[in-house]
Amino acid sequence: MSIHSIVIVREAWDTRDLATDVVGSDGGLVPGVLSHRFEPEDLNSLEQALQLKEEHGGRVTVLSVGQPAEVDVLRECLYRGVDAVHRLLPPEGVQLDSAATAELLAAGIRKIGEYDVVLLGVSLPEEENSLLGAELAARLGSDQVSYVDSLSEVNEQGFLCKREVEMGSEFLRVPRGSVLVLGVYLLKDDPRTPRSAKAMLKLKMKKQPIEEWAAADLGLADLATKVTTRVVTHEAVPPRQVDSITVDPENEAELKNMLQDILGR
Amino acid sequence: MSAILVYVEHDGGCVTDLSLQCLSCGRQLADQAGAELHAILLGAEAAGVPLADVIHAAKGEGLEPYTTRPHAKKLEDLVSQLQPLAVLLPSSTIGNDLAPRVAGELGLCVTLHCDAVKPEAEALHCRRLEYDARAHTWFAPMANGCTVATLADGIAESASGDTTGRVESLDAGLDADLLRVLVERREVVQKTVNLKDAKVIIGGGAGVGTKENFSLLQKLAERLGGEIGATRASVDAGWVSAERQIGQTGVVVRPDLYIACGISGAVQHAVGIRDARMIVAINSDPAAPIFKMAHYRIVGDLTVVIPKLLDLLG
Ligand SMILES: Cc1cc2nc3c(=O)[nH]c(=O)nc-3n(C[C@H](O)[C@H](O)[C@H](O)COP(=O)(O)OP(=O)(O)OC[C@H]3O[C@@H](n4cnc5c(N)ncnc54)[C@H](O)[C@@H]3O)c2cc1C
Ligand SMILES: Nc1ncnc2c1ncn2[C@@H]1O[C@H](COP(=O)(O)O)[C@@H](O)[C@H]1O
Repeated sequence: MSIHSIVIVREAWDTRDLATDVVGSDGGLVPGVLSHRFEPEDLNSLEQALQLKEEHGGRVTVLSVGQPAEVDVLRECLYRGVDAVHRLLPPEGVQLDSAATAELLAAGIRKIGEYDVVLLGVSLPEEENSLLGAELAARLGSDQVSYVDSLSEVNEQGFLCKREVEMGSEFLRVPRGSVLVLGVYLLKDDPRTPRSAKAMLKLKMKKQPIEEWAAADLGLADLATKVTTRVVTHEAVPPRQVDSITVDPENEAELKNMLQDILGR
Repeated sequence: MSAILVYVEHDGGCVTDLSLQCLSCGRQLADQAGAELHAILLGAEAAGVPLADVIHAAKGEGLEPYTTRPHAKKLEDLVSQLQPLAVLLPSSTIGNDLAPRVAGELGLCVTLHCDAVKPEAEALHCRRLEYDARAHTWFAPMANGCTVATLADGIAESASGDTTGRVESLDAGLDADLLRVLVERREVVQKTVNLKDAKVIIGGGAGVGTKENFSLLQKLAERLGGEIGATRASVDAGWVSAERQIGQTGVVVRPDLYIACGISGAVQHAVGIRDARMIVAINSDPAAPIFKMAHYRIVGDLTVVIPKLLDLLG
């Protein structure tokens, strides 16, 4: 038995601890405020794919959409030991939404041909949604499971997925060929913790050419017509101002004042 | 007549609170547009679905418990038939799984986890919080027409009452190729505590350290007339039952007072407490993110601080 995993990776905006305003007076985003990182949940799904290969044999192929801004996520995948990477390029000037992104990915996956599973992560900057995975599964006509925490019982038919739902977990038997959107809750010393780049591979893969597939060559010259959603405007939300009071736990008077305040209200 | 369609999620036949909020929101939109409010309920009897004019219901193989494709198929068929102005779903694990699938199949615009919606001439516009809660972004369809949206907790008052609308049975039949994903088992806790309405909540995280230490929090809760809440970490450790989990995959709470004990303040937990009126954080790490949202910060060991508080409370 062997498993060919296709992993989708994204370079996402790092929205943690934003110190400055992101929205300008014109309702657009202020350029340069947001830095980028490898979408952490995509790193988790890459790790899952690499472990499937190590355990059961097979291959890992990685796809990403667009030219890198700050982090070349495909090269980062090469540094972690994947078998092949392909960059999918939308037509010049087209602003993709998740529907159009999914169209392009689905075309790339069809070009790759046979596979056993498509893995990607929930999107952290967008409140952990599984938008892209579901849009993609719709285009592939395949089964999908979102918020997958872990995989087990891998066999010829498929996988057992543990997924997180409100108030607990669910165990689902899914067939090969499914799209799995991972939302991994990493414990301390978790065996699912993503590996880092390997120094050896960094040397070897630094200059490795990355194959690019243009939308037009995948039959999607009209990709702009697949966009379904537009951004009307952005409105700035002032940062939450909390008047914080630091209380010294050694100081009884301060603790008392605090208790009076919180119980008084 | 034009329509607004609400997907109603249920938990063992009991309509979820967020679905009741979606029904309220849908009713307002339908009234403004002079449209009918339609609801779809799959895998349960059409009971407890207030405000809808028409309830489309189906029960049958593959519809309970939820898996994506059977529900997506039934919803797609109904959307194609009704051509609604908007399809509203709860922003839950199920809603956020189903909405983009249906939108993807039908080529519709979709926005997840919306905290406001606004009917415009050409279509429904939807707003969501983005960029670390520093921006509201408004989304709309490229072309005129239907918007699919999942609605976040707090979008509207929960509707109450029983079904009064007309119930129409949907064909429950499904092709075998839509039934390939099987739910083997569920480890889901039935809710017995009501954290949503609690005025005081004492939250315990991994920093509580042991099940025994949780009794300190319990004492504080009893003294302040509150309930115990928890993070995913302390639920996974087995110290607290899953029904007390607060956050993204738990409950969203709005107490007057939240005391966070040994909680780092991960975003998945923070989204569940950010509407608390007052937050007190006790954490031994002065750099813990929870302090950024706390009104009172106590840097210290909770096993020392809580007994002190109990002493002072008498
Ligand atoms: C898809 C997904 C969904 C999730 N949903 C949820 C959810 O709904 N709710 C949720 O809570 N989490 C959720 N999580 C998990 C979340 O990411 C965090 O891992 C979790 O909230 C951390 O819990 P914690 O703060 O208890 O633990 P930790 O992050 O380990 O923090 C423990 C804190 O305790 C402090 N501490 C240690 N010892 C002491 C002491 N003696 N006295 C005082 N302080 C001490 C430490 O300084 C630390 O800040 C989800 C994760 C994923 C991937
Ligand atoms: N941090 C983020 N927060 C919200 N949306 C994001 C974020 N990062 C990427 N996106 C979405 O991805 C689209 C394209 O992102 P980009 O290619 O980085 O400009 C944007 O229009 C957003 O909808």
